[in-house]
Amino acid sequence: MGTKNALTKKAQFKQFVILPAALFIFWIVLSGKTDFKNLVIGLIAACLIPWLCRSVLCLQATTTPGKSYAAFDLPYGKIFVYLLWLFWELVKANIEVALIVLNPKMPINPQVRTFKKTLDHPVAQTVLAKSIILTPGTITIDVEDHVYTIHALTEGAALALAPEEGEGEMPARVGRLFNEEAEVK
Amino acid sequence: MKTLALIFLLSGFFFITVAALGVIRFPDFYTRLHAAGKGDTLGIALFVIGLAIHNGFNLVSFKLLLIVLFIFLANPIGGHVLSRAAFKSGLKPWTRKGE
Repeated sequence: MGTKNALTKKAQFKQFVILPAALFIFWIVLSGKTDFKNLVIGLIAACLIPWLCRSVLCLQATTTPGKSYAAFDLPYGKIFVYLLWLFWELVKANIEVALIVLNPKMPINPQVRTFKKTLDHPVAQTVLAKSIILTPGTITIDVEDHVYTIHALTEGAALALAPEEGEGEMPARVGRLFNEEAEVK
Repeated sequence: MKTLALIFLLSGFFFITVAALGVIRFPDFYTRLHAAGKGDTLGIALFVIGLAIHNGFNLVSFKLLLIVLFIFLANPIGGHVLSRAAFKSGLKPWTRKGE
């Protein structure tokens, strides 16, 4: 594959060291055995799987032509902080939806909105689209050419994510999560 | 420790119940997805975390937490795929005005 050369040495190293290590740990956790035979089979599988999937693990950049990213070369520290924030948002979203469901009058005003957010990293797009589904009263209907079509349960939820001017908190956060990483390379 | 586990289990039950109720009460497909996509994710997550706390700190608890992680990864995809399929096939969202 021609795109394979576009990966930097550092990204390739991360891909083919971190991923087998993670898979091997996962194997040990799932099997729960540490005898020699199990460890050897696990190690072989953990090394073979990333190699077999190497073409899938190399992701094309969405805007920059010819550039590609390693699928598992992510800013894990920042993602962990983001996940904690996302979990708290998820709890708030659920309480909000629960109050709407239990309210006899059902105060909903569903609407479809679109907003644009350019993210070069394909994983960043996925993270944003998934986060939208998990948080206050919004689901992603479609993502095409960096335009996100969202369905919101209430007008407030729609405006929080896609205000009339500027951008919502979540797209901004995801942008910060990945853009800085892109500049380092 | 048991009390904490019980709190997690009961809140999980609560959110799953509310999600089921929301699926029945909401007017159309998209709004029902809101209830199903979010309520289930948090409900199952809290429920399984409660079980992990109840079980104590060992390998089984770690596996339970992995289940939570995979549900977090998989559930939004399910919601998105359903809503996208409905939108592409031309299902119009219910609005206040059209009532």
